[in-house]
Amino acid sequence: MRRRNWYLMLILALMAIPFAGKAQEKLTALEIMRKVYNRPTGKEMEATLTMTLINANGDKRVRVIKQFIKDFGNVEKKIMFFVSPADVRNTSFMNWSYDDPNKDDDQWIYLPALKKVKRISSDSKGDYFMGSDFTYDDLGDRKPEEDNHKILREETLEGEPCYVIESIPKDEDYMYSRTVTWVVKGKWYGLKRDFYDEDGEYLKTLKINKVENIKGYWIITQTEMHNVQKNHTTRMTLTDVKIDSGIKNSMFTERMMRRGLR
Amino acid sequence: MKKFRLSLKAAALLALPLLLATTAWAQSVSLTGYVRNYTGVLLHGDHEYSIIQNTFNLNVEQSKGKVAFKVNPYIYQYPDLPMEFKLREAYLDIYFNTVDLRIGKQQIIWGKADGVFITDIVSPKDLSEFLLRDFDEIRMGVTALKADYYIGDNTFEFVWLPTFTPTVFPPEGSIWRPRRAFPIPPKFDYSRSRVTPSLENSEVFGKFSALTSLVDLELMAGYAWDDDPTMHAVKQIDPATHRLVGLTIYPEYHRLTIGGGSFSTTLGPFVLRGEGAYYHGKYFNSNDPRLPESVVKKNYLHYLLGLDYTLWDIHLSGQFIQQRILDYDDYIVQDENTNMGTFLASRDFLNETLNLQLFVYYGFNNNDALIRPKLTYDLADGFEVLVGANIFTGTEGWFGQYDNNDMIYTKLKYSF
Repeated sequence: MRRRNWYLMLILALMAIPFAGKAQEKLTALEIMRKVYNRPTGKEMEATLTMTLINANGDKRVRVIKQFIKDFGNVEKKIMFFVSPADVRNTSFMNWSYDDPNKDDDQWIYLPALKKVKRISSDSKGDYFMGSDFTYDDLGDRKPEEDNHKILREETLEGEPCYVIESIPKDEDYMYSRTVTWVVKGKWYGLKRDFYDEDGEYLKTLKINKVENIKGYWIITQTEMHNVQKNHTTRMTLTDVKIDSGIKNSMFTERMMRRGLR
Repeated sequence: MKKFRLSLKAAALLALPLLLATTAWAQSVSLTGYVRNYTGVLLHGDHEYSIIQNTFNLNVEQSKGKVAFKVNPYIYQYPDLPMEFKLREAYLDIYFNTVDLRIGKQQIIWGKADGVFITDIVSPKDLSEFLLRDFDEIRMGVTALKADYYIGDNTFEFVWLPTFTPTVFPPEGSIWRPRRAFPIPPKFDYSRSRVTPSLENSEVFGKFSALTSLVDLELMAGYAWDDDPTMHAVKQIDPATHRLVGLTIYPEYHRLTIGGGSFSTTLGPFVLRGEGAYYHGKYFNSNDPRLPESVVKKNYLHYLLGLDYTLWDIHLSGQFIQQRILDYDDYIVQDENTNMGTFLASRDFLNETLNLQLFVYYGFNNNDALIRPKLTYDLADGFEVLVGANIFTGTEGWFGQYDNNDMIYTKLKYSF
């Protein structure tokens, strides 16, 4: 099955196929990023996501989310239930992401204080997710075709042979002027990514801290985004990860957004 | 004695978490809520406090597979007013494969409008502090049977309210008491204002809703009571002088039939929302001398169009709302068209720990407004400090009538 986004690339799964030992074909940068984007994973995933936000003084704030993701073929649906902090508990967020490159995501948020499911625009992908150092775009779909890619070099990072890929957005007004990604050869996941802001200044770095093999898939269970300009860090940790556990289709409905985790 | 009883209730409520914590039952029961201090001071006159309120709000919930319950007691404590101890919600849930039942006191919220009530008419409003309270506090829970039937992303909802609950208005003497103009001081007679609890006097509502990729849609209908009383005015005229010598007001509730719907869809970076309803059989006050009680029955439309957009990380939202009385005659006190707008601008700072927001209601008919800036800072996870103001402009109209009630306020809230 396809895997279409950087977030899932980082958060969800790694390819289970070990290095085959064959001579690698000469790939273009775009082909490498497509391999990352389309890397096979399980069809379903549920997990508890803990985000720890650490500011320049070392003060920590913790957000806990229970999330469910399922691939329906031409659409991938995700629902998130906010567990803590207490003032956002029972808030839920649902995203439907389509294969069709011309179709925007559909997004809804349920606010328990208003007892309403509100449709929101998926256009603001530059917004930061829950005050973290990840934007919605960092967490969501960013199709390889949206950037121009170039192989800068090949080098070993943390013992893994990597392609170092520079990606420059085709949209000049995009929030990043470029990103540089270390893609592990043969496994096709990003081990590290540097982000540069609109002015070309170094902004932040995403690193993988922990990888676990769950149900035959390599699952990245801890990542860290460090914003060097604000000296602010977000650590994302996945626990209770279940792959292909049989999530019902009815999980991704307004009914469940309202009901929550009961 | 009454206060003493309330205190006992409050003490019992406060002790509840401790009691629960001592039992094995507590392990599966969710106890959440908040403690809040809310202090407001008027900007005019002697800078009296508009409110000093301490709140304890508790949500007790438990779920066991196909069944669940929730109880939401709360206490409002004031230094100068009797303490309020009430249940906002207390209901039971039963979940079937495609049907959910909710029985008991509950808040039921419909529609796509923000801060405006068009198809959102199941739960009545508590306007003790006008529209200034948080919306979950304006909405009153009502005893109801609610059944939801789900087919894919479509939902059919049926609601039965066995008894009628009217809007709560501010008590006599409150600065939020709506201003009413009478030619002479009236006498109020509430003998006709009671709606006897009976099967015949119950309310029923139905709604179809669909959440799709293209559009979110709601269609609704209701056979209800008008939550606001009609002020029937009986005049005593001196036959010799033909002058008004007496005026008796009979507040009375009337049946109302409503049909309407709402939608929400995205247009690129915009979210377009619409909502409208046809109200059949609403009573309006009239100056027609031929009418014995100065009221006339008319139908009216109430509708809204709204647009949400994000620009430079600022979330913007605007709504235009119109209420239009059909088959209008010039004796009716209310304008044929009542036009209102709302505007929201909100931006987060400091990794979403600081929020700056401006919300404005604007009444076109009287050129009056309610301007609500506020700054919210999360001092720690779950601990919120809010500083805000409520500024009323104009001299007449829904907002202008409170021109002397401009206030600044703070809210400190600890959620657990």
